[in-house]
Amino acid sequence: MSDSGPVPSSASRPAQSPEPPAQQQWRRVHPVTPFVRGWAVIVALLFVVAQQSFDGVPYGEIVDDLARLWWVFALGVLVVLSIVFGYAALAWRMTSYAVDDDAAHLRKGILFRQQRHARLDRLQAVDVRQPLLARIFGLAELTLEVAGGTDSAVAIGFLRLDDATELRADLLARAAGVKARRAGAGTAGTTAPAVATDDAGTATAPAADAEAEAPRGSVVAADAPDPAMLGATVPAEAPENQVYEVPPGRLVASLVRLPVVWIILAVLIAVGVGVAATRNFGILFSLLPALLGVGTFLFNRFAGEFGFRAAVSPDGIRLRHGLLETRAQTIPPGRVQAIELTQGIWWRGKDWWRIKVNVAGYGVEGTDTQSVLLPVGPRQEALTALWLVLPDLGTQDPAALVDEGLTGDARTDVSFTTSPRRARILDPLTWRRNGFVVTDRALLLRGGRLTRRLAVVPHERTQSLGLGQGPWQRRRGVASFTVHSTPGPISPAVHHLDAPDAARLIAEQAVRARTARAQQTPERWMETVAAVAAAQSDAQPDTEPDTQPDAGPTRPEGDA
Amino acid sequence: MTSIDPAAQPAGPFDPPGVTWDRVSPRLITARLVVLALTFGLPLVACAVVAALVTPWVWIPAGVLAALLLWTVLLVPRQVRAMGYAERDDDLLIRKGILFRQLVVVPYGRMQFVDVEAGPLDRKLDIAKVQLHTAAASTDAVIPGLAPDEAERLRDRLTARGEARLAGL
Repeated sequence: MSDSGPVPSSASRPAQSPEPPAQQQWRRVHPVTPFVRGWAVIVALLFVVAQQSFDGVPYGEIVDDLARLWWVFALGVLVVLSIVFGYAALAWRMTSYAVDDDAAHLRKGILFRQQRHARLDRLQAVDVRQPLLARIFGLAELTLEVAGGTDSAVAIGFLRLDDATELRADLLARAAGVKARRAGAGTAGTTAPAVATDDAGTATAPAADAEAEAPRGSVVAADAPDPAMLGATVPAEAPENQVYEVPPGRLVASLVRLPVVWIILAVLIAVGVGVAATRNFGILFSLLPALLGVGTFLFNRFAGEFGFRAAVSPDGIRLRHGLLETRAQTIPPGRVQAIELTQGIWWRGKDWWRIKVNVAGYGVEGTDTQSVLLPVGPRQEALTALWLVLPDLGTQDPAALVDEGLTGDARTDVSFTTSPRRARILDPLTWRRNGFVVTDRALLLRGGRLTRRLAVVPHERTQSLGLGQGPWQRRRGVASFTVHSTPGPISPAVHHLDAPDAARLIAEQAVRARTARAQQTPERWMETVAAVAAAQSDAQPDTEPDTQPDAGPTRPEGDA
Repeated sequence: MTSIDPAAQPAGPFDPPGVTWDRVSPRLITARLVVLALTFGLPLVACAVVAALVTPWVWIPAGVLAALLLWTVLLVPRQVRAMGYAERDDDLLIRKGILFRQLVVVPYGRMQFVDVEAGPLDRKLDIAKVQLHTAAASTDAVIPGLAPDEAERLRDRLTARGEARLAGL
């Protein structure tokens, strides 16, 4: 049982049938999955068994005892192993997944069965995750993010890496609605009926029977995959162009510049002096927790963002990163809800920026690993990353506008509307930076002086709007404006705006968001790719898609 | 670049022009006062009893509690009167607060679901709370103290309008 090829949902189903009897084809995950998932539990169990067997026995007697009681020990290990193995086999047998044109389905659980259907038109992102152990086995887990709050993702895994990428391409193509078209180009008639078939409800019952019927060992070899699934209908992985990558040297340099490193160094030096003066080495141990904490933070950040590469493909933005656990994220076009560029004062010398995004599926818990669009990069790369998400900022000179947003303030502003001077007493440090500008496509909110930030929210991604005013603000005639975005690292807001400005902004932004939603232009994505490529080669963003007419196939964007 | 039209100057940031606000039921005042009486009144009585029987020092927390109670009792009616909501063609406005004022604009097309809630006290007083949820967790769109009929009507209207203007995320 080395491999989990597709398990046919019906034994009698003829291969390459033009009209498959069941739209859904339930497939199993890789048999090693339970071990990859539960290796820690297994190790712990073995450890407990070993400890129980030797517990209380003085070391010298172990050898004697082993001679007499070896069979007890062996039996214990055997029992534990068989229970674990049986459970794993059962868990594996009970887990299956299927994909049809409307939804992805996952069934799992032994006692508490769980069936999960994720609508593909609500797909927010697809991640292919490879934890260290899975990498050793060449396995990967596919996570479909849908905007359903905590723990709403559908995790299909583990699969062989090739199968996972293939499934990802399939899912994304179906989500984008190009299934019929792309496949139709190759094999004209075969896939047309599949598109029109009904979804989940009707197909689940027969598929459940099929799983029961399937003989235990009926695993089709992977090099003989179902032709209907792989040959005719599965689209090729969409081609991707790498746009930028973060070299490890820059990542390390950026981490070393973080204030936490300087603080811990300063503390270390102070303690070193203290130890030298007092000869009391006990102080060193009191530092250990802090050192461990900082070390863990730095290592996690380094390992998580190591080898960060961003690419564009017709399927969306593709981000790859990770040292031990690798992750390849695909964010389809139009799924980024908000973008924020930040620069702490410690990165100002190098003009490095960090970009995070709000993606509905990632939520708050994925903030540190999944929501990073650019871990650290010079301004030009940051702009490229921004065009990647928002190719058309809806303004004449987007580069100048964004530059103003990144580093400008009230004294140099051309287009930003900033806090009035009377807000200075409320916000002495950043009042010149607080500001907003509205373009045809997006709202840019600027703030922060020591840590500069610029949030960009496309009009059509606005959820709701808020206005707030405290007593001091009222006295000064200013108000704070908030855009409510999906859960994530970014909460776009701009504080202390002139009250009439804020009132007009909230009134007009409501209208703008509505019109933008009404005329979302789905075809934009591929034009974008060309624009990004141009931006990269010219080091100058290209805002007129018309200049790159031959941008390849356009893919209609599904409803977010 | 769209510039902001200076002609659209409203009276105040929390009073957009051409909006007539619907008020919540004054029975919400009673509901809030009952809750206040429980949270401040009971400890106040307890403190007063201890002060009278054990030590006069406990009059200090009792006085603080009494002041808080008085202040909030005076505040609650104004707070409730300051709450308002308005159904516009494409979005719902909710406004609240006197000292800290807030205004939320929720487009109908962005609504994911609508909650109607009424606790035992609310049911006794014949009021209900309507809460709108969008995909953003930060959307704080609650209208407390609606008459149940009005709450149901609002819920149905919001849902109907939301469907008509349905948009993805």
